Amino acid sequence: MKLKIVFILLACIGMAAANAAKINVVTTTADLKSITELIGKDKVDVSSIATGYQNPHFVDPKPSYIIKLSRADMFVTVGLDLETGWSPQLLSSSRNPKIQKGSNGYVDASVGVTLLQVPSSINRGEGDIHIYGNPHYWLDPVNGKQIAKNICDGLEKISPENKAFFEANLKDFNTKIDLKLKEWAIKMSSYKGVKIIAYHNEWCYFEQRFGLIIVDFMEPKPGIPPTPSQLVKIISEVKSNSIKVIISSPYFTTSSSDVVSKQTGAKTIVLGTSVGAFDNIKDYFDLFDYNIDKLIQGLN
Amino acid sequence: MNYFTQTALITVFFSSISVNLFSQTDSIVKPDSVLLKQIEKQLNSSQPPPPPVQMRTSPTTLPDISVVGDFQASYKNNVKRNFDAGINEAELALQSVVDPYARADFFFTVGKDPVTGKFSLDLEEGYLTTLSLPAHLQLKAGKFKSAMGRINPVHSHALPFISLPNAYENYFGEGINDEGVSLSWLVPNSLFYQELVVQFTDGPIDNPSFSRSVGNTYLELLHLKNFFELSANATLELGFSGITGHNFLDLRTNIAAMDLTYKWKPVQFNTYQSFTWQSEAYFSNANILNDKVVNSFGMYSFINFQFSRRMFFTGMYSYSNKPYSSGTVENSYSATIGWYATEFQKLEIEGKMTTSNMDKEQNQILLRWIFVIGTHGAHQY
Repeated sequence: MKLKIVFILLACIGMAAANAAKINVVTTTADLKSITELIGKDKVDVSSIATGYQNPHFVDPKPSYIIKLSRADMFVTVGLDLETGWSPQLLSSSRNPKIQKGSNGYVDASVGVTLLQVPSSINRGEGDIHIYGNPHYWLDPVNGKQIAKNICDGLEKISPENKAFFEANLKDFNTKIDLKLKEWAIKMSSYKGVKIIAYHNEWCYFEQRFGLIIVDFMEPKPGIPPTPSQLVKIISEVKSNSIKVIISSPYFTTSSSDVVSKQTGAKTIVLGTSVGAFDNIKDYFDLFDYNIDKLIQGLN
Repeated sequence: MNYFTQTALITVFFSSISVNLFSQTDSIVKPDSVLLKQIEKQLNSSQPPPPPVQMRTSPTTLPDISVVGDFQASYKNNVKRNFDAGINEAELALQSVVDPYARADFFFTVGKDPVTGKFSLDLEEGYLTTLSLPAHLQLKAGKFKSAMGRINPVHSHALPFISLPNAYENYFGEGINDEGVSLSWLVPNSLFYQELVVQFTDGPIDNPSFSRSVGNTYLELLHLKNFFELSANATLELGFSGITGHNFLDLRTNIAAMDLTYKWKPVQFNTYQSFTWQSEAYFSNANILNDKVVNSFGMYSFINFQFSRRMFFTGMYSYSNKPYSSGTVENSYSATIGWYATEFQKLEIEGKMTTSNMDKEQNQILLRWIFVIGTHGAHQY
């Protein structure tokens, strides 16, 4: 009996030690969490602040997130002001110097990504315009490779002894992206140039990668809810361009796009903007599998 | 069939198979040829091409700058001037990280004197916050809003009502906003968020409960914040505050306060619906002349319900004595409708009624228009 207790205690201590040895990573979004897990594997313990079905622009800076951040070794952010309304406050409240901007544990996943829609001038009259460019860059799988590289670089700074491990995982990740990209490109090849409507301006990277054409948005300006006049405009555009699909995100209600659907017959499809948006989107690759299949289903 | 004929037939057979196979492969490749070739070209290069250098706006060390405008109009009964309108306040915020060890926040206000109507500039807050103290400690030094309860630390433009609760106003005026130091400690509690704050400040100059002492007596505050995440969509915050300092008679006043906030906000549709129930209670113990002690009480409770993406309703009740008069009983009721155009502009209209056993009934209708330009930091949850 005594031996059993000693064994259990030793096992508990061993498990605790193994956990303690892991790099504790907090990411702002679930996509960054998924990629960090694919690069760090069993060397990392990752949690995401925003869920996959949540609007990443509007996350409430709950104090409970401060606990996670206070213990983090690394913080990964989408950057480009996407999280400007909540992450700076959480970071400064975390009291954790390891993850403050400029520290080794602060990873801006957007570094090196070729950005789209970089404004030449800024005017809030145009709606929620991001000053550095459109921040939804993870919706292009090729950008996933740059994100993974940034995360890998961050992990190597924190744990240089595992450099070879992380780089091997990065290589595997890139190989899988390349393979999947061919598969996705083949699936989407018949839909190149197909015109669609989107609810919010967050699909430009996906649009560019797979050759779609987003004719207009349900929101008259980014962040401004659809207005009756915008709906009239959209209905006319859907009819004149024979548009079959309106794409939306899990965190927007479909009431306005349903109005357009009713008037035109175009289908409203809710795509996943992040990992975890729907139950079957479990990792970064699933995100594109789901969206491409769903889109093709809608277009057919 | 001779050897040559056999060989020729076999060759023709395999050629036809290989031609068929290749033609099938071609038929797969054909439809996506342009897109796939582009992708393959990118993938086949040994190193990904370096991304073109993109300007991410010109780098600057300027702080985040914002101005918050607060236009108000009001109708009040039982006063000489019933109608009033104008800029109530303009707030200029400058916020930035100082260096890897600290950040600084400055809030200047240009407020209107209700009597003269003249505007004057004031430093509402100006403080340095450390970012790298050990043991989860954070030090704040300068002029700041005290960490008492839920309303005091929040700038008025971020509150979901226009007129402050009577209980709060009777005990703290426009709020405790004082100079000194604040040390907060993130309690290492893995079950829920706990933060302990200790503050030592000079003492406010004009406040119903406290006054700046001429001697070595300062305003001392202790606040314990407990935050529970009940579910992904619901949270509960329970706070306890103790504050002690000199009153205008240069004698001691002690106030114990308790706050309770329940919030419900569905994570998936958090921009469309939310509900908050927030309450605070103040227990005052004020020493006055001739060794007398006045024990008094005040409380408020409000619900804030977001019923569409842009519309909010707030209903509030407040009960209050006064710091030096436990016999005074004030009851107030208010209802506020808010329309939030964007996160940078909101319009609110409020009706409020106050009854008192010492004064005439007061009714007021208030209108407030808040607008923000520039980059304004997030407010506390």
